[in-house]
Amino acid sequence: MNGSGRAQERLRDRAPEMELIREAQAGSRAAFDALVRQYEQQVLRLALHLTGSEQDAEDIYQEAFLKAYRYLGNFRFECSFYTWIYRIVTNLCLDQLRRRKTRREEQAVVVDHSGDEIDLLASVSDNRSFSNPERELDRKVLGQHIQEALGKLTPRERMVFELKHYQGLRLRTIGEMLNTTEETAKNTLFRATKKLRAHLAEMR
Amino acid sequence: MNCELAHERIVLAAYGELPDEQVHELERHLTGCPECQVEREQLSALAAAAACHPVLEPPANLTARARLRLDEALDALPPKRWYERLGGRLMNNMARLQAAPVAVALLLLAGTGAGAIGGYEFAMNRAAHVAAQAQVETLAAPQAPATPKLDEVANISSIVRQPNSNMVEVRYNRVVPQRVEGSLEDPAIRQLLMVASGDANSAGIRDDSVGLLAAECRAGRSCNPAGIRDALMTALRYDRNANVREKALRGLEPYIAEDMRVRNAVLEALLYDNDARIRGEAIGLLEPVEADTTVRQVLSAVATSDQSPQIRNVSRQLLSRVPEIQ
Repeated sequence: MNGSGRAQERLRDRAPEMELIREAQAGSRAAFDALVRQYEQQVLRLALHLTGSEQDAEDIYQEAFLKAYRYLGNFRFECSFYTWIYRIVTNLCLDQLRRRKTRREEQAVVVDHSGDEIDLLASVSDNRSFSNPERELDRKVLGQHIQEALGKLTPRERMVFELKHYQGLRLRTIGEMLNTTEETAKNTLFRATKKLRAHLAEMR
Repeated sequence: MNCELAHERIVLAAYGELPDEQVHELERHLTGCPECQVEREQLSALAAAAACHPVLEPPANLTARARLRLDEALDALPPKRWYERLGGRLMNNMARLQAAPVAVALLLLAGTGAGAIGGYEFAMNRAAHVAAQAQVETLAAPQAPATPKLDEVANISSIVRQPNSNMVEVRYNRVVPQRVEGSLEDPAIRQLLMVASGDANSAGIRDDSVGLLAAECRAGRSCNPAGIRDALMTALRYDRNANVREKALRGLEPYIAEDMRVRNAVLEALLYDNDARIRGEAIGLLEPVEADTTVRQVLSAVATSDQSPQIRNVSRQLLSRVPEIQ
C-alpha cells in the first residue's frame, strides 16, 4: 500500500474517534467518557511504570483527564488525539518526577494504594524463573538495579527512555509530545542509554 | 564512519529508528571494529536488564478506583455554558485565521484587483447599454417570463391576478424593481409566489401569494410536496397573520390524509395556534384521519386543555366517534 493509501486508511480508522471528539467538544459527557475509556489503560500503564506508585498514577490519571475535559475545546485536530492526551500525561509525569527528584524520595519499588510494596517481578510470568530459582533471583536483583539506574536519569531522559524503550513510540512522536524536535529526542535517548549503561556497570 | 557516530547509530538501530541504508553501513563498520561491537553488546545487556522492570497492566482495582474518582470530579464540575463553548469555537477559528495570514492577504489582494477590473468593465458595458435603451424605448407586448434568479430577488412588491384569467402579475425587486407576468402554472411565477409567501415585510403580499398557492393546491394542480406544499406548511406554522395561516390551512386540506407531514402541521396548528378560528378550522379538517393514533392524542389534549369551549366540545365529539369508526 502506498503512503497516501495508508494515510487514508488511518483517517478512516480515526473517523469515529474524531466524531467522538467533536461531540465531546460540543459538550457531550457521554462522548468524553468514551474517550476516557479508550485511553485510560495506556495512561495508567505509563504513569504507573514511570512513578512506581499506584497513588501517583491515580492522581496523574485524574488530573490528566480533568485537564483534557477543560481544554478539549482547544484541540484543533492538528495532531492525533493520542499525541495530545499523551502530551498532557507526560507533562504531569515530568512534574511528578521533578518533585520526587527535589524531595529525593527515590522509590525503587512499586507501592500500592495502601502503601504496601508490590513485588512487580514476582507477578511477571516467566516459566524459566520457576524452573530456575537462581535465575529468578538474578532477575530480581537486575530489576532493582535498573530501577535505581532509571531513578538517576534526569526526568526528561527518564521520560524519553520510557516512551521509546517501554512504550515503543517513534522518536518523532516523542518529540511532538514533549514539545521538542526529533533530533533532540534522539540525543536525549542516546544520553539516557549511555548513563544507564554506566550506572549498571558501577553496580556490578 | 567514526566510532562516535557508530555508537549513536547502534542505539538508533536497536530501536528501529535507523534508515536501511545506514544499517548496512553500520554493519560494515561493526565487522571491523571490536570496540563498537562491545558497545552493541552493552546495549543488549541494558535491554536485558530493562526487561527485568517490565510494564505491567494496571490492576483492575486501580482502574475502577481512578474511573470512579474522575466521574465524581466531572459530575461536580458546572456544565460548560453555551458562551464558553462559543468562545472556544471562536478562538479556534481565530487561530486558524492566524495560521494563514499570508493566504488571507493574497486572497484579499487578488479579490480587490479582480473586483476593480470587473467593476470597471461592468460599469462601461452598463453605460453603453443604458444609452442604447434610452434611444429605443418601446412599449412592446409583455414577453414570456424569464425565470428570475431567486438570489437576485430582493423582495416581492405586488401580486395581481387578472380578472377571469389564469394570468398573474408578480412585481419583485432586484437592484431596480422588476416585473414579470405569466400563467399560474409557470414555474417562474410559482417560484416567485413561494418567495412571496415568506416575505417578512408585507402581510398583504404573503396573503396574496399564499391565497393563490393554496387555491392551486386545492385544485390539485402540481402541489408537489417539496415545493408549494412546503411553502404552505411554513406559512401555517410561522406566519404572523391569521388570514395567511387560514389560507395555507385550506390549501393543505386535500393532503391531510395522504401526507403525514401535512397532518403534523395541521395538528400543530390545532395545538398551538393562538387564533381560535384557525384551531376550529384545523379540527374540522381532521375528520378523515381521526382514527390515527397521533390525531387521537392531540384531540385528547385539546379536549381537556383548549381555551375555547367549542373546540373542546368538537374534540370530545370526534373522540367519541372514533371507536365506531374503528
